[in-house]
Amino acid sequence: MNEEIDESEFYHQDFTTASEWEVFMARIEEIINQWRVDDKRNDSVTDVESIWDIKTEKLNFAEEQFYLYLYSKRINEDAALDDKGPKNPIDTLHDFELYDENHIEYHSCLSTWYGLDKFIVLSPVSNNGIVNESKIKVLLSSIYVVEGNLVTSENSIPLFVQIREKWQRLYLGVFASDVIRTNFEMVHLKKGLPYCNYLSGLLDLFKTKIASPCVLENIIVSAQLTYTLTEFGGFVWKQDLLQQNYDIESLFLLPFGVTVDPISSIILKATWNHLPDNLVLDSENYTDFDPTAAMNWSLLINSTNNPVCLMADAMTEFLQNLTNTSTIYDILGDFATLPSSENNPLDLLTEPAVPAISRLLTRTARQSLTRNKRSNPPLSETMLVPMLYFLFPDADEKSSFPYGREEREHTESLSQAQFKNLDEEFKGFKTCSSDSLIWRLSIILSHCLQSLGGLRAFAHVWYEFVQEMRYRWEKSMPIPGLSPGLPDLRTCLLNQKLQMLNCCIDRKIARENALVNFDSAENSSTDDEEFFDCSEKIVEEKAKEKLSLWNQPVGRLSKFGNLKLIKTGDPLYIPVTQEPVLKTEDQLEEDTDVLLQLGSNAEAMELRARIMSASLLSDMESFKAANPGSAIEDFIRWYSPRDWIEDEDKLDEWGQKAGHLSPRMLIEDNIWSEMWLSAKPVPAHRQKRLFDDTREAEKVLQFLDLRSVSQICELVIPVLSHAAIYRLMEECESLASDLAEFPAKLSNLIRKGEVLTRESKPQPRRFEGLIHEASALEMLVSQMNSLHYKLNPSRSANGEINDVVVALAMGKEVRVENKSKSDIGNRIVSMFGEAQRMSSLMAGEQFDEAGRGTVNNAFPVPTAKEFVLRTNAVKPAVYSAKCPQFMRAILSKEEFRLCGAWSEDTVFF
Amino acid sequence: MDEDILTTLKILIIGESGVGKSSLLLRFTEDNFDPEQTLTIGVDFKTKKLNIDGSLVKLAIWDTAGQERFRTLTPSYYRDAQGAILVFDVSSYATFAKLEMWLNELETYSTKNDIVKMVVGNKIDVDKREVSREEAMRFAKRHHTLYIEASAKTKDGVQAAFEELVHKIIQTPNLWESYALNNIHLGSKDHPNQSSCAGYCSLV
Repeated sequence: MNEEIDESEFYHQDFTTASEWEVFMARIEEIINQWRVDDKRNDSVTDVESIWDIKTEKLNFAEEQFYLYLYSKRINEDAALDDKGPKNPIDTLHDFELYDENHIEYHSCLSTWYGLDKFIVLSPVSNNGIVNESKIKVLLSSIYVVEGNLVTSENSIPLFVQIREKWQRLYLGVFASDVIRTNFEMVHLKKGLPYCNYLSGLLDLFKTKIASPCVLENIIVSAQLTYTLTEFGGFVWKQDLLQQNYDIESLFLLPFGVTVDPISSIILKATWNHLPDNLVLDSENYTDFDPTAAMNWSLLINSTNNPVCLMADAMTEFLQNLTNTSTIYDILGDFATLPSSENNPLDLLTEPAVPAISRLLTRTARQSLTRNKRSNPPLSETMLVPMLYFLFPDADEKSSFPYGREEREHTESLSQAQFKNLDEEFKGFKTCSSDSLIWRLSIILSHCLQSLGGLRAFAHVWYEFVQEMRYRWEKSMPIPGLSPGLPDLRTCLLNQKLQMLNCCIDRKIARENALVNFDSAENSSTDDEEFFDCSEKIVEEKAKEKLSLWNQPVGRLSKFGNLKLIKTGDPLYIPVTQEPVLKTEDQLEEDTDVLLQLGSNAEAMELRARIMSASLLSDMESFKAANPGSAIEDFIRWYSPRDWIEDEDKLDEWGQKAGHLSPRMLIEDNIWSEMWLSAKPVPAHRQKRLFDDTREAEKVLQFLDLRSVSQICELVIPVLSHAAIYRLMEECESLASDLAEFPAKLSNLIRKGEVLTRESKPQPRRFEGLIHEASALEMLVSQMNSLHYKLNPSRSANGEINDVVVALAMGKEVRVENKSKSDIGNRIVSMFGEAQRMSSLMAGEQFDEAGRGTVNNAFPVPTAKEFVLRTNAVKPAVYSAKCPQFMRAILSKEEFRLCGAWSEDTVFF
Repeated sequence: MDEDILTTLKILIIGESGVGKSSLLLRFTEDNFDPEQTLTIGVDFKTKKLNIDGSLVKLAIWDTAGQERFRTLTPSYYRDAQGAILVFDVSSYATFAKLEMWLNELETYSTKNDIVKMVVGNKIDVDKREVSREEAMRFAKRHHTLYIEASAKTKDGVQAAFEELVHKIIQTPNLWESYALNNIHLGSKDHPNQSSCAGYCSLV
């Protein structure tokens, strides 16, 4: 019913205007107009890194999705100023620009080929491209219509559509101003026609294509020949992997570098700019294009794809083992046995009381290696022992790797201020000090994992390390290479654990010494028996006499000023107290959790106070023992002086200022006074130990012993990351040329590393990210090393070469000033010559001794040729205006490409 | 309930004994004042939820004993704190003079680099004042800390002190944003160049 009524002319018209094709074109116009409006507002500062300002919109047509891109080059302001009104975009002098990989965007090739600063590209979203001929025609028609509709006198923009397979980079396009239309056409073939391989053929093609009714002006020709050097002969730069007869000291540095030359080829481009076509000849039989006579030379390098970067590779090994839950004993099998079961107690007896420190290592090594004849150890003794000497240099009096040496040297060698600042930035790392024990351990472990036998060698070193720790605890020998003092919560967990062990060893030594001294004191003065048997006497005596035997003061440290005990008038003594309790961060976390779980009500507070009061009680008991007859007032004056309020101008009977406890101390049943009442006079050394070093040391040893591979990796990764970034910094520093970006790149790495080390567990993804960036930098450093080696084998100081190396490593094409007469040019010529000789020798050709010196022989056949032809032609009719014509031909082994731009007058034809 | 909480912050209260650390905490968490506040032994803590700009922040506030002898015990609990309140008693110059030592203590034992510090002059209700506001301000300025005066007894400034401190911490996202957030490295494999901009997602 409705249909019949609506079948009007109006409705019919509406239907046609809504055809999909028209909607599509309208949409493109709409987008372009919107961009123009945006452009006027000039608020588009987005990605400052790129020289391209790119805008994108998505649109649909015929079940195909397209992107419409606007590319505009950011031109610096000087260049923008001398723009003299509207001009055809191809009417320029553009021929070859220096390649810079940082300036490459997906469609920016159009700019490289045609010299366009601003263009619009319509490109299908899917990777299949537009292959169908009729589809291509529809799209081409669309952009012609759109360009036609949008013609303005000022800011027309060339409009392109990408066709065929995407990898072909094939475009068709159009530009229309109010007087001229330019068609952009392109040919892309695998292999070109033979007569098009030389300039002569191309010139003919160009002229034919223009088909001007008048005589052509001179054609301006630019040419570029590309020579590729892939054989470096004796100048291949790579890091050798550890071989059988390795240098043992190379194990003491993190692996660094690449296993293949990071430079796969050096490319030389010889360029001639803007020559009239009648002055040059290039045909099958003769060419004027001799590279040594070129107007310009420029260099470019190709990097090797994904070479193995040794340091990043070693780090990746750790990343992969983060999921390996097997224990050291699983891996070592019957080679290693769990401790304590097989320890022969007689070993301890036969050992001298204080073993010669230098015998220590051979002992541990021998013990673990000879005791287990059942299987071969993963690391031979010749390998293991130097490693252990590196980790524990105190075992060797003549060690060339004592701890604390490198630090001094390093601060001296850090001459460059920029790297000095970086050194500061490492301070935030939650690891350990550089070149300390764990630092060295992480290096040794990474070598083991990477090249000395993998997981079994890794497990072996860890096993020996733990054995050594146990040995040092048993023999009361301090562990070297650790910063002294209490476990530092700002270092990594492994460092804290070892510091803890060291503290335990220190206390054990102190305790043993005290015992020895005590024994000797006891023997020498027999009448002095005050410390003993007092507990028995407490029971039998009642306090009647002031100086009764049980009441003897014990464990005095020193007098506390002039204070006197309130009741007796005796001097107030500070007691010897127990050593503080030490905790590593994992233990603290457990403690904190316990406290937190109690909640926050009044009972919980009370309970927490009780938990916390152990040290208070211990101090009270020591105080009572040192100050017989003391009262809580005496204790408070020492312990919490601000809770003792002195009365003004009042002296007590002993001549000291009188006073009283603060109100809060006088609250009934407060925990302090309660505890004071219950405290017995016991000196610190007879109290129950608050910190049992034997138990704590055993805990640490157990902790180390029972780590699985993944847990070891977790412990070591923070330190390894630190060491790796540090190594990178040193490498960057020792490079002959410095890159302005190095400090920023390193600083970025340091920030990431710092975050990584501060996590409670290193996150695989974060670590992976760090490896990724570290390997990019490692590659860059290797490339620069390789380039220096190739271009400047004599290593002479040469600022020019340094600059070139930096630019090449950053993926830029560099102009060689003075061509073959410069140092670099000379070096390039001789490398090409060397490569040519090598290849002709290989081919078995007779080597012509006389030809050695001539440069002509030095260069091989160019791997690519590129020509740019341009002229102005009267087209399409005799009375038309002159319109710019352009053609670029790219001839290489891989492809044959012609990019043409043909203009014609649209007013007078 | 839990999912509404933006983050949990750890805050320390340190300073000489008897300057009113526990009283400040009691006033803030329970809006109460106990003239007979007992001496803290070791460390204690209280929690409180605080609404900052519409998002809820949970605070775990660790109160410490000020006695010198406890300083072998208390610094262990400084670990991973994002903020620290250094309290002195405006009626006792000695407690103010010790602040320098407490700052050093914090410097030595706090594990976060950019921990937010606030100096609080407590007991401004007391008539006999020994530390002038100007002097305290100068100290705070010299050490780049926040400064506020308060009285746990009269309630003045207590709420403001905690709120200002938390505000400041929230404005320093790398202090409190969990390292577990993976947003920094999303897609780092595919876009290595983009990963160099250390982005954090602002939840505020």
